[in-house]
Amino acid sequence: MTEPAVPARSRGVISLVEENCTVCMLCARECPDWCIHIEGHTETLPADEEHRRPRTENVLDRFAIDFSLCLYCGICIEVCPFDALHWSPEHEYAGATLAELTHERDRLAGWEATAPTTAQRDA
Amino acid sequence: MSPVVDAVQAALGDAVLAVVPGFGPVTVDVDPASWAAAVAAAAGAGATYADYLTAYDELELGFALVLHVTTPDASDHVLLRTRVPRDRPQVESVVGIHRGLAWHERATHEMFGIGFVGNDDLSPLRTQPSLGAHPLRKDFVLAARVARPWPGEKDPAGDNGRARRRVLPPGVPEGWGDQA
Repeated sequence: MTEPAVPARSRGVISLVEENCTVCMLCARECPDWCIHIEGHTETLPADEEHRRPRTENVLDRFAIDFSLCLYCGICIEVCPFDALHWSPEHEYAGATLAELTHERDRLAGWEATAPTTAQRDA
Repeated sequence: MSPVVDAVQAALGDAVLAVVPGFGPVTVDVDPASWAAAVAAAAGAGATYADYLTAYDELELGFALVLHVTTPDASDHVLLRTRVPRDRPQVESVVGIHRGLAWHERATHEMFGIGFVGNDDLSPLRTQPSLGAHPLRKDFVLAARVARPWPGEKDPAGDNGRARRRVLPPGVPEGWGDQA
């Protein structure tokens, strides 16, 4: 069986760039069908030469997308201020149970390698 | 500019309230009493393909009804739009011009409660007839969103991972779900 050739811009799956996520919750709040689950906490970083005062930083604990609910609208990707979410044309991730369609952060991060570059998208 | 827009303007005169170029297809705002006449004029000028009909809720301004028509070769796209008042939302049906819009008029009636005079079958497509409400009206409360925890309510900077001030999801009015 040959794999179907799909265009680079296809909305197959959503990938996550974990280090870009600031746990701002914008995507989870804009999602029309509530399929994005994010958990995080804040950590206090001590003052150093660059920063004169202690400061707090959001740390991501969980990022999951439930593709059994996702309607592939792409609003989360549009709304992300830090480009932490991208479309990937990868689409072969059917599962035998609904739970398998919830992709946790490591699986979402794994899709990033399949997301097209800007040049590939515009080709 | 557009033969279809010109034809609608020639046929309706003052009943064309505005022609809005926008970024995409031109939008022609017409008086609700001339809705069917506008659709007929557009069809007479070649826009015989009706792509989509729907509405949106503008609260105290009423409901905007929008129809996308085009020539079959897609050379001339036009959006026809009219605004009907909230207390008497109805227009003349255009099923006599575009038979394919029967489904859209049914759906628009179901979701927004807009009447289409002359369309005999406005029975709901998705909801129970006993529902007695129109789900896409902005005053329709999305009650399931009150019962279910909203993933967007979490806030890493808040106490216990929740926002300090309770954030309500879209579709849930202030005061709902306060007991949660």
